Formats: sequence, structure tokens, C-alpha cells
Amino acid sequence: MVEQLLRLKLRLLGNAFRRSPWRIVALVLGLLSGLGMAVFVGIVLVGLRFASVSIAAQGAEVLGAILLFGFVIVPLIFGVDDVLDPRKFSLFGIPTGRLAFSLAVSGLLGIPAVATTLIALAQIVTWTRDPLSALLAVIGAPVIIATSLLCSRVSISVAAFLLSSRRSRDSAGLLGFVALVAFVVLFVFIYRTNWLQDGPAVFANIARVASWTPFGAVWAAPADAAAGNIGVALLRELIALAFLWLLWLAWRALVKLMLVTQPRSAEARSYHGLGLFGVAPISPASVIAERSFTYWIRDARYHTSLLVIPVIPFLLMVPLLIIGIPTPVLALMPVPIIALFLGWSVHNDTAYDNTAIWLHVASGTTGRADRIGRVVPPLIVGIPLIVIAAILSAAVYGAGWILPVLLGVGLGILFTGLGLSSVGSAQFPYPAVRPGDSPFAAPQSVGTASSLIQSLSFFVTIVLVSPTLTFAALALFFPGWWLWGALFSGIVLGSLFLWLGVTWGGRIFDRRSPEILGASVRN
Amino acid sequence: MLSIQGLVKRFGDTIAVAGIDLVVEAGSFYGIVGPNGAGKTTTLSMVTGLLRPDAGSVIVHGVDVWSDPVAAKRNMGVLPDRLRLFDRLTGAQLLFYSGTLRGLDEETVRARTADLAHAFGFEDALNRLVTDYSAGMSKKIALAAAMIHSPRLLILDEPFESVDPVSAANVTQILRTYVNSGGTVVVSSHSMDLIQRICDHVAVVVHGAILDSGTMDFVRKGKTLEERFVELAGGRTSVEGMAWLNSFSD
Repeated sequence: MVEQLLRLKLRLLGNAFRRSPWRIVALVLGLLSGLGMAVFVGIVLVGLRFASVSIAAQGAEVLGAILLFGFVIVPLIFGVDDVLDPRKFSLFGIPTGRLAFSLAVSGLLGIPAVATTLIALAQIVTWTRDPLSALLAVIGAPVIIATSLLCSRVSISVAAFLLSSRRSRDSAGLLGFVALVAFVVLFVFIYRTNWLQDGPAVFANIARVASWTPFGAVWAAPADAAAGNIGVALLRELIALAFLWLLWLAWRALVKLMLVTQPRSAEARSYHGLGLFGVAPISPASVIAERSFTYWIRDARYHTSLLVIPVIPFLLMVPLLIIGIPTPVLALMPVPIIALFLGWSVHNDTAYDNTAIWLHVASGTTGRADRIGRVVPPLIVGIPLIVIAAILSAAVYGAGWILPVLLGVGLGILFTGLGLSSVGSAQFPYPAVRPGDSPFAAPQSVGTASSLIQSLSFFVTIVLVSPTLTFAALALFFPGWWLWGALFSGIVLGSLFLWLGVTWGGRIFDRRSPEILGASVRN
Repeated sequence: MLSIQGLVKRFGDTIAVAGIDLVVEAGSFYGIVGPNGAGKTTTLSMVTGLLRPDAGSVIVHGVDVWSDPVAAKRNMGVLPDRLRLFDRLTGAQLLFYSGTLRGLDEETVRARTADLAHAFGFEDALNRLVTDYSAGMSKKIALAAAMIHSPRLLILDEPFESVDPVSAANVTQILRTYVNSGGTVVVSSHSMDLIQRICDHVAVVVHGAILDSGTMDFVRKGKTLEERFVELAGGRTSVEGMAWLNSFSD
């Protein structure tokens, strides 16, 4: 059984190389980056062999706990496509225990398991200090590998099984919200900490907490032995083994349950009336805008961008905070960044419709109406958002006169970005997450085009907004006339680019709508 | 009403449609039958303006689909096969959306939505999301959306697939009435029985070419459509070497 499943996994891996050349490139890049990361962590762990016991302990505990916890959290958030889903074996009548064990072992053939094995071996080197700690590290290595295998199996199955109905996938937004709150707490923590002064102590605290969690205990046991705390070392080894045993029980129970459970179908929710439809005077453009807005409200893929966009500026601020850039300077960042990402968010909107776009093609909808409909929701959301963010930023910056600059830059970037997106989503739609799939799932077919288009659309937006940015930069040093220049140029140039983008994008749509549909069929 | 001339489509090395000519008179109920992969969907996609042909022309009500698409599409109602709907809308919203894109005013859309829901029997489902519909229900709502603007020509690709018999009878009745009042219907299907029962004309498509076409009686030549089809499509492959299936293992 084990042998058969290992062969199956090997065959599946081998077949992955028979697909399109770009698939292979992506696979090889994944392989190299995974192994590269493992080698890097391995070198760090080998290097820790020559550090003091407490430093080595902290390093191994934090790195190790992050590694094992990652096996739990990554599948839950991103949704991994499980090639060996237990449900695929439900018709073969294999005893549950054997199937569960074989499936877990088959996980050994994979980049994550190989990387973990490298790291688990490296931590043995870290603790070749005295016989007992070396022994505990040697025992720890298989425990680490087994724990990582079972963590990922349980987590992938939970993600595929319990979170599989459409309704719960749509509530992935909730998961995003939890992540958002966690991130805000983390951000405040990072902001409040004086890293140059308290950094080492904070790190030691994190390591101390991690070492008592099931994810860190196995890495901490040899360290305790090296420090002479034999009792604590054995206790932690026990925690690790108990955790492994619990994982095995959970995995077996999960396999047993999955073998006899049909895929769930979500209970249907009822809506009343036409919702947003008919709010505006009726026309193709207005109804497309209403449809688009409805999707922003109902579709998890749009929720993701709505949740992520306000977070991005703060994410970018973290490293700047740590190196000590003053707060007023940082306060100028969020408005342009939010505007940039909002304008960019619809640059592949046509592909989000997937093949449903046939309706626009078959009904002879004009490209102009299609383009207008798609930029209205980000405008309605974006303009108030940018005004509020600009006022808050000006308050934090501590000077009201900066407000026109922030508004000019923000609105200019938003309008220009939307204009550019109108052209981009007609000319270069590339594969996107399909409707109903997890918003974090990777599209089924990826090409080189997507990343090129993504970075190009950022770059071109910034080039087009550069006059406004120049005025804004001048205004920072010579307040006065330049303030209003930034506001005026932002709004006027932005509106011009938006109008040009909608017109040009509409023409492209009219010309190549069958090709746009064709591209979505291949997605 | 519909005239197709020399329609060709290649995908890489494979020729999906190899020069199809077809004339469909106004007021006819035209069936297109063919085995899997014969090029039925490809042909209908080119007719409805969804797929650009490599060669040939499609004229709908005197207008060339590929040189004046906006005018030609106005006269067509389309049900494509295997394409998504905007399924995060409710049934009512989807009909409203389709009607509005077709240029109807609000009052008309609302009235027709109610009529269609009644005729197709999905009044209960109008306020549910289309993504929660069964396959048959989705087909019905898409069919309703295809006819909401009262087009002259309906192009329906596999309209009866996974639709239950009662609904299929309803839909057939609706389509018959439409044809009797001068509308034109082109349907594709695998089901020979169904096509034989409801259509007055038929074309047999195999390997991207039309093997026979005309009135139902002309094509059938006294046999059932299924017998005639199997004969045209190259006969049945005799089933041999499956003896093990008849000796059961434990």
C-alpha cells in the first residue's frame, strides 16, 4: 500500500513535468526557492553550533516553531490543491488505518518534506555539544519530519473538506478579517518597540513562549539538555511526542470521516428584489456598474482586495519603522499607495468574469459601457476612502496645508490607474482565480505574461502621474502655489487619463471581444 | 433567416469545422446533430459572434455577423454550452441584467421576467443565487435570458441537457409556439429522439462537415433519425474483447 502510493505520488510529480514549458519553469523555480530556503536555514542552524547555548536555543526554537506552524497555516489560508485527497480513494475499499498511514508517508515525496528533512538534519549539527543533547536532537529529527507531514496533511484536508462549500469559501473574507486584526496588533507591537534597545530581549521572550508550544518543544529539548536542565528537556520531548500522537489520531479520524462523507452542498440563501439593480437610471453602462458592485459585495475574490488594500501601506511601513524613519514622513505613504492599488485592482477585471463574459459579447454590449461599468465601483469606494485617508494623514503629519497635495496625488493616481486598467483588462486579460474558487488559490494556468502585465501597469501609472508627483514634491519644500498645482494637476490629468482609458479600452473591447472570451475559455 | 457559407475553424493542427454551408429559412425549427467533438458547438459559437471564424460568412436576417456584429446580434438570442453565467446574481437579477444589456426598458424587463419565470416554472428560485441552482435550473434560466428580448432567431446549444422531462416538455411547447408565430430556432443535441420529435429540419454534422441536411423526412429516408445517423456517422464499432466483464470477480 505504502509502496503503491509512493509510486503514485512519484508518477504525479513526474507528470507535472510533462506539461507546458512555463509550468516546468514555475515548478523548477518553486523547487529551487524551497530548497534554497531550506539550505539557508540549514546553514544558519549549522552556524548556531558555534554560538552560545542560549543564542542557539532561541534561534532554533523560533525558526523551528515558524516552520512547523507554517505547515498548519499555509494550507488553511492559501488552500493547497491536494493531489492525494483521501476522498479519491473512497471507492477502493482500503482499511482506514493503512490508507491514513500510506497517505501521510507519501507526503515524504515533495519539496516541503525534503526541505524539512534538510532542516531537521541541520539541527542535529547545532546540538552536537554533549551526548544527551545530541541524542535528543537525533530523536527529534524524525519527530520533526513526522510532525510536519501530519500537520500539513491534517491542515490540507481540513481546508479541502470543512472549508469546501461555496458559502464557507465566500466567508474566507472572515479569515482575512481575523488576519487583519492580528496584523494590526502586530503592527502596534512593532511600532511601540524600540528595536535597537529592546530587540534581543523581545526575541528571547518570543523564543521562550515558542519553546512551550507543540511546534517549538521538539526544537527546544536538546537545548535544555545542553543547558543542563534534563527534566525540562524530557518534558518538552514528551510534549512533542504527545502532539505527534494526537496529530496521528486526528488524521486517522479525518480520513475515516472523509471516506464516508459526500461533498457538502451549501444551503441556498434567499435574497429579496433586485438589490442594487435599478438604482440608477437604466442603461447598459449603469446595469454593468450595478452588477460589478454586486460582485464587489458578494464575491470573495473582491473582498480580498478590499481587505488587503488598506493593509498594504502599513505592511510597507514596517521595515521603515524598524530602521527609524520619522512618523510624519511615513504618514504621507498610505494615500498614494491605497490609490495605486485601488486603481490597479481592476486591471484584470474582465478575467474575473471568466466565461460569463459571453453575455456581453453575444448581446453586442458596447465596449464603452463595459469599461464604464467596471470603473464605477472602485470610484465610488475609492473617492471617499482617499478623502478620509488624506484628512487622517494630514492630521498625523501635523499640518493642514498638506491636504491639497495628498488629495491631488491620491485622486490623480486613482483616476489614472483606473484609466490604465480599462485598457489593460481589454487588451491583456490573463488567467485569474475562477469564480467560486478560493480567493487565494493560484489560477489553473499561469504564464509569464501575468507578472509582466502586473508590474508594467504599476510602472506606467507612476510615469503618467509623474507631473503631479513633481508638483507634490515641490510643494513639500515650497508650500504655496505648488500645493494647488498638485491638486489641480492630479484631478485634471487623472480625469483626462480616465476618459482616454475608457474610450480606448472600449474600442479595444469592441474589436477583440471574441478573443477576450477565447482567453477566458482557456483559463 | 440564417445563412452560413464556407465556415472554417482550425485550432492549431486540428480542423474543428471544415467548410460548413447551411441555410435556415425563417419559421423553421432546425436541429443539428452529431457525435461528441463533431464541431457543433464551434459552429454555433461562430454563428453567434462568440468565436471568430478563419474563413466563411454568417448572415443573420440580412446582416453579416462578422462585419456588422452589433446589428446582427440584436436579432439573435443565444444559449451557449458550457459557458458560465454571472452566477453571483439572483435569477431575477440575471434576467434583469440580460434584458437591460439587450436594450429593454425597466418596465418591459420586469414584466417579461415575471412571464418567463411563470412559463419555465422557476418563480420560487428567482430570489436565489444562480450559483446555487442545479444544472437543469441553470439551463432554464439561461434559456429564459436568451429569449427575453424577443429575438427573431434563437441559437440554442444543448438546451435540454440535464433538464428534467417535464421542464423539457414545457420548453418544447414554448419553442413550438414561438416557431408557429414566425420565430426561427436552431438547436443542437445528442438526443436523436428529441430532435426527431421537435424539429422540422435537421443537419447531421460529423468531423466538422455536414453529411446530410434538409427536412426531417428527407434526411430520415424512412428510418428513425438515430438509425440514419449511425449509418451516416460510419456505423457502430463492434464490441469485442470485453468478455472479462461478463465473468465477475469478487
